[in-house]
Amino acid sequence: MKKIFLKIAAVCCAMSLSACSAKTVHKVTKPDGKLDKCSLRFSWWGGDDRHEATLKAIELWNKKHPDITITPEYGGWDGWSEKVTSQVKGGTEPDIMQINYDWLISMSPDGNGFYDLDELSSQLDLSQFDEEVLSFGRVSGKLNAVTVSVSGRSLFYNSEVFSKMGADYPETWNELMALGNSFGADGLYPLDLDIQSGGTAWYLAVVYVQQQTGRQFITLDGRLGFTVEDIKTALSFYKQLEESHVIRTVRTRTDEDGNAALYQSPEFIGGRVAGVLEWGSAVGKYESVLAEGVLEAGPLLTDENGCSDGWMIKPSLLYAVSKNTEHPDEAAAFINFLLNDEECAEILGTTRGIPASHKAEAALKNSGELKGLSKESDDILRNADTVTISPYMELSRMKEFYNQAIESVSYGTADIDSAAQQMFDSVNNYLEKIRK
Amino acid sequence: MKKILLYLVLAFISIIMLYPLLWLFGASFKSNDEIFTTIWFMPKSFDTDVYKKAWETVTPYTMGHYFINTFLIIIPKTVFAVLSSVLVAYGFARFDFPLKKFFFALLICGMLMPSIVTIMPQYYMWSKLGLLDTYIPLTLPSLFACEGMFVFILIQFMKRVPKEFDEAARIDGCGTLKTLFFVLMPCIRPAVVSIAVFTFLWTMNDFLSPLIMIQSVEKYPLSLALRLSVDSTGQGYEQKKIIAMSVIGLIPSVAVFALAQKKFISGITAGGLSG
Amino acid sequence: MKSRIYRNSVGVSKFTGLVLILPFIIGAILFIVYPFVCSFVVGLTDNSGCLSFNNYKNILSDRNIRQASMVTLKYTAVLVPLKLVVSLLAALLLNCELKGIGLFRTAFYIPSILGSNLAVIIMWQYLFTSDGLVNQLLSAAGIAPVGWYGDTNAALFIIVLLRVWEFGSTMVIFLAALRDIPKELYYAAKVDGCGRIKAFFYITLPQLKNIIFINLVLQTIAAMQEFNAPYMITGGGPLGSTRTIGMYIYDEMFRYGDDGTANAVSWLLFVIIGIIVMLMYKFTSRLRRD
Repeated sequence: MKKIFLKIAAVCCAMSLSACSAKTVHKVTKPDGKLDKCSLRFSWWGGDDRHEATLKAIELWNKKHPDITITPEYGGWDGWSEKVTSQVKGGTEPDIMQINYDWLISMSPDGNGFYDLDELSSQLDLSQFDEEVLSFGRVSGKLNAVTVSVSGRSLFYNSEVFSKMGADYPETWNELMALGNSFGADGLYPLDLDIQSGGTAWYLAVVYVQQQTGRQFITLDGRLGFTVEDIKTALSFYKQLEESHVIRTVRTRTDEDGNAALYQSPEFIGGRVAGVLEWGSAVGKYESVLAEGVLEAGPLLTDENGCSDGWMIKPSLLYAVSKNTEHPDEAAAFINFLLNDEECAEILGTTRGIPASHKAEAALKNSGELKGLSKESDDILRNADTVTISPYMELSRMKEFYNQAIESVSYGTADIDSAAQQMFDSVNNYLEKIRK
Repeated sequence: MKKILLYLVLAFISIIMLYPLLWLFGASFKSNDEIFTTIWFMPKSFDTDVYKKAWETVTPYTMGHYFINTFLIIIPKTVFAVLSSVLVAYGFARFDFPLKKFFFALLICGMLMPSIVTIMPQYYMWSKLGLLDTYIPLTLPSLFACEGMFVFILIQFMKRVPKEFDEAARIDGCGTLKTLFFVLMPCIRPAVVSIAVFTFLWTMNDFLSPLIMIQSVEKYPLSLALRLSVDSTGQGYEQKKIIAMSVIGLIPSVAVFALAQKKFISGITAGGLSG
Repeated sequence: MKSRIYRNSVGVSKFTGLVLILPFIIGAILFIVYPFVCSFVVGLTDNSGCLSFNNYKNILSDRNIRQASMVTLKYTAVLVPLKLVVSLLAALLLNCELKGIGLFRTAFYIPSILGSNLAVIIMWQYLFTSDGLVNQLLSAAGIAPVGWYGDTNAALFIIVLLRVWEFGSTMVIFLAALRDIPKELYYAAKVDGCGRIKAFFYITLPQLKNIIFINLVLQTIAAMQEFNAPYMITGGGPLGSTRTIGMYIYDEMFRYGDDGTANAVSWLLFVIIGIIVMLMYKFTSRLRRD
């Protein structure tokens, strides 16, 4: 009796193993070079302005290609990656997706998670992109995604507060440290760094060490470039920022803002915190909570010799095609429209950052839409000797390691040496686990 | 004197309970700056334009569209949940049958399992059946009395109705179902109403399962449509518009509660149990 | 095999009950047993898809999971008694025949319909920040303001407060039970010269013991699975002091895409809750029977 029961249980287990991990093997549909009548799903996340512009662009597409209908699927960033992750796991993802840089690693570790766009070059004009920009979307040699725009984090300051304090925007790390004195005397802070999902605290520390050592924190192929010593330097640099009153301690920051984003914080809106490190493409929300024109782009920090190495850029967004799509040609044609069509570029404007496509950028230049803080930030970074962020650095699990280290150093629950060693070990272990 | 004191205490607590709602309503008229810097609920000025903007949303559909979607989910779900829970609770409370203990243990087990875990296997199941992006994954499970807590509460309520009631009905020639609907139901009405209200409120607030199961914006329920506007990354970030949307989104919950209040609280407390 | 007699009313077959719970049987297979088995099996698979006990072994030695378990237990231990006491007191207060009492009942209940609605989350943020309402009130009363969000204990307490504030549904169940206590008992007590407080301990509490138990179990289960409130209000910080197991599971499953660990931890949580509920049942069975 018992034996039979065990056997049944074993069979059930074996069956459910296949049933639980809904991995259905789809055949990859080969391109046939023709545009057929079909309907495609296209998904993206973003804010109001992006939704509005994209829907208008889809309208224009439907006018030009009445045979190929596009069904939009969109939402806010909250929960979006969870949604797409489960879709990709279940093989139910949309034909065309806007994806984040680190998804290339998490959803397509071997380069076979998305459609290889090189095969679709008859519909997709890749000549509008620099080879370096295209390489962002390559995994194991396969073009998994095309970069929509490139952006990097740079510094933005509250100009009212700075002029009231009679201070100039800092150009070197030492000048930044020195600002803590004058600002601190009035209870103000020249900058804010966070350990929330943005994780700017660790980011700035990485830039500082990269500039000093010339080593990249995490290499593009997913290896840890920093030594334990480097991580120690980064963490002490952060601690020094706190101690010199350049930024609020994690404790103070959390007490004052809770879990709210900086742009919702009374401290930032009221000007007590006068600077922020942010992606050029996402600075709008900080700009809009201050009076018009108050937020200004500041220079990248350099060492005493004016060397600006170490600042980083990455593709802020990419478009990818599902490997399960039945209409690869049509999907590629639509991506081409979004990226390279001049009319479409004018509709989309800079809602996805400054376009990486030459054609689209030229169209925006002609219509005079290339302006504002995100353009300024873009120019500042273009003139610097930037490095490309590794997608591995952006993985959410990795961010947890950084934030944990910063938090424990800030709270003093761990000394810098042990925090650095622990971070070094966890990062190394994790990278090893996912790299194969 | 004593009465006045009691009233004062009640009023004071009520203010604590309701202030956040009041603040929220006030905040829907405030500028970003004002919201984040004052805790007092009164806005400097009332500009109802924000509600018009909120109603229109940023999508091609108005909030009315999302309300309809939400009700398309909520109404079947509520009916299903009530019907199935009552039937199953009746079976457990009034009948003896093989494996009863086992099934009851299973019911309790279902309550102990975190719901985050069960959602992924369900997702795979619906995706294999090709029923994603429909309301079936959101409504159909309710037909199977999956909410253990509801059955559990109903059983407790049914057990307190004297068994003689059933016996009497039987002698009068009522069948099993007739006994349930004409004898037991009137006695446990408050519990049934509360189950309906709970289902309604939980579905209104539910975010994760529609996020996973529904794909096209056209079919989004209200909770998803709200989220869609929260994460405004662009220029012109306006907190008050989002707050106005969530205020509109709260109206059905508050309305249903106000309507059901009499049955729900008064009914449940009116001694309907002691028969 | 030992045969059993099923005691049903006359003319009811032993299968009537089974037929009635048929929807549940189907539902249990589809929505309880199947996901259960699935999650156990997925918990058994590692990254490469092989069967192994690694996930279960790993979670027992993982520092973060141990911390999350402690947080969850601490949270439950503080929240559940507090919420039960508050909702019982509120129910006692509302259990009277005043004019307009229905209005007050509604007011007391309304917070609990909000759940963890976005609006509530925004509100909560501004109550407890450094210059928030709570600190303003504290300093008006001459008490030094508290750093709520940055302190490991205070941060957890903020979440406890939110859930206590939403005591409505527990309160309603108490109210219903209070109404059920025969009035004669109180009259008799009064005649015997029994004070109000004495009457509460000798009549009200014993009469309520079953309902208290039900509320205790329901609230414990809910508290052990808490995920929404800490996720949205504190994000798990500071120093992981508000990161519950529920949140841990969500992060592993969706944020980090590690299904194996997520499901293994779910089983851990399931077993912990099961043990706690069983202990409660065992320890209170004598009390409840008397």
